[in-house]
Amino acid sequence: MSDSTTKPVTTDKFTEPGGSAVPSNGTGLTPRAEREDFSTRKLSRKRRPVGAYFAVGFLMLMFVFPLLYLVNTALKSPQEYIANPVGIVSSPQWGNFAEAWQRGNFGDYILNTALYTIAGASIGTFIALVMGFPVSRGYIRGGKLWTALFVLVLFLPNALMTQFQLLLRLDLYNTRLGYILMVAVGVGIGPLLFSGFVKSIPKELDEAAALDGIGYWRYLFRFIFPLARPALATIFILQAVWIWNEIILATVLFSNSKLWPIATGLNAFKGTYSNNWTLLAAATLIVATPLIIGYIFIQKYLVNGVVGAVKG
Amino acid sequence: MRTSFSMGTIILILFAFVPAIAVVFVSFTNLKGLPGLPVEWIGFDNYRSYFGPGHRADNVNAFRNTIVFASLATVLQISIGLAIAMLLNRPLRGRNFYRSVVFMPTVLGVTVTALIWSLMFNTSGGPIQSILNAFGTDSAFFGDPNIALYLVIFCQVWMQLGVTVIIFLSGLQAIPADLYEVAAIDGASPWQRFRFVTIPMLAPSITANVLLGVVNAMQSYQLTYVLTGQSNRATQVLSLQVYEQAFGGRSGTTLAQSQGYAAAISMVQFFFVGTITFLTLWWLRRREAKL
Repeated sequence: MSDSTTKPVTTDKFTEPGGSAVPSNGTGLTPRAEREDFSTRKLSRKRRPVGAYFAVGFLMLMFVFPLLYLVNTALKSPQEYIANPVGIVSSPQWGNFAEAWQRGNFGDYILNTALYTIAGASIGTFIALVMGFPVSRGYIRGGKLWTALFVLVLFLPNALMTQFQLLLRLDLYNTRLGYILMVAVGVGIGPLLFSGFVKSIPKELDEAAALDGIGYWRYLFRFIFPLARPALATIFILQAVWIWNEIILATVLFSNSKLWPIATGLNAFKGTYSNNWTLLAAATLIVATPLIIGYIFIQKYLVNGVVGAVKG
Repeated sequence: MRTSFSMGTIILILFAFVPAIAVVFVSFTNLKGLPGLPVEWIGFDNYRSYFGPGHRADNVNAFRNTIVFASLATVLQISIGLAIAMLLNRPLRGRNFYRSVVFMPTVLGVTVTALIWSLMFNTSGGPIQSILNAFGTDSAFFGDPNIALYLVIFCQVWMQLGVTVIIFLSGLQAIPADLYEVAAIDGASPWQRFRFVTIPMLAPSITANVLLGVVNAMQSYQLTYVLTGQSNRATQVLSLQVYEQAFGGRSGTTLAQSQGYAAAISMVQFFFVGTITFLTLWWLRRREAKL
């Protein structure tokens, strides 16, 4: 339908101005016409962005204001917050952060989360590397089947209860190792992304290495690993962000609150101090600050990952 | 090669695929959350009970919420995301910074996002309440069962919008500029340029975004869990029902925690999501071919 409507519209419009434009070309009017066109364009460019900047301003308000308000609340004393919740803070209470840090055990939780994130994402990236490479090269039998497996991993059903039961039966329930393994296999698009990336590494390199008698392990970690570093970094970071923010599995797989990651800790903190908004805001900011600072450095990889995932 | 490959494969299969496949079997048993209880094969009892009249009201409610959540979140994400992407694709000063800001909530995660917006939607004197007060009304926000679901959708869109925008931006940048020039020379109005150049050229990005949005939104419940709790009827969705049935009463004290029944819900959801995904994919492919 759309095809049949496009063509008449464009051809109609083409014949009208086109008819007047062709003679002007012939009579040497082009420079003037061009200049006119140029100047009007310049004018419109100067005028136009006002609306665009207005829209951008609104957009920034939607995304930055909540964070600023969070900071503002975190710095208030409880009395000041109750008296005037939306006003700008008058005397900043930096002690809120120390108090929230202590009461919420965030020191322990951050260490837990750091451990889970690094270990989990490393194992996940390792899986993507050792599976993605041979599958992409066709060194493993049933290549298509494995690729299908990589896709399937994205569409698994909600298996909370069986994940819980499996760890229970393996004696890994309520252990750090059990949780790390469970988040490690949340590889998402990792293997798929990596097997796509491997195609850009020339196969001749494999053959040359094989001729030189370099073993597979050495080849994979000494040659492929450095070559694939940007792709692996992207895979690692995508999974790390997921693990850092994971909350449900941690609730289900730990009964000991000492082992919780920080997201679960913050959620529990919210349950305990649900009315103490200044403390809660300070706690939220404690959790959010490393994320925002880290974001500045990993943004490039995240964008690559998202764009790469779509193309793959 | 064999060893390294099988190491990765074993971890992945044992901890990702075994639990996933086990869900199918568990859904035919009366497995409980408490360890050590005998597990019996009970055939289709869980499914019978799910589709039976006893749970109908709850299940219909969860289904309706899931559909509203998924469709509204996807539509909003696509339309707002496209508008933002087009805005940030223009040669504006500092647009890289704006892009970064819009993409930032993706790293914040559900807990931080939920807390930020609980604070914004605080009923006693939060900023949005203050605005409403200025207009002489007020709202219970997440406490109001009529709007709680929509507020959760709003937060979900806020959190996920960055991904949509990035995908659209990469699609927009791939459109050759001369197409617009040709269209402009042909006298196409801005709307026509959008409709007949941007949209068809963006078709792959739109497909990706719709698919990603639908699959994501139908299975996401983490934000709902943090924002309104696990058993709030107004925001109950399918995945949350699975969680509630399997782990509802904390620390395994209630008998209501039937993991077999939860597995049955999970299977129903799995087929539902699968069907919708295939239908969406089929519809998008057809549309792409037409454009």
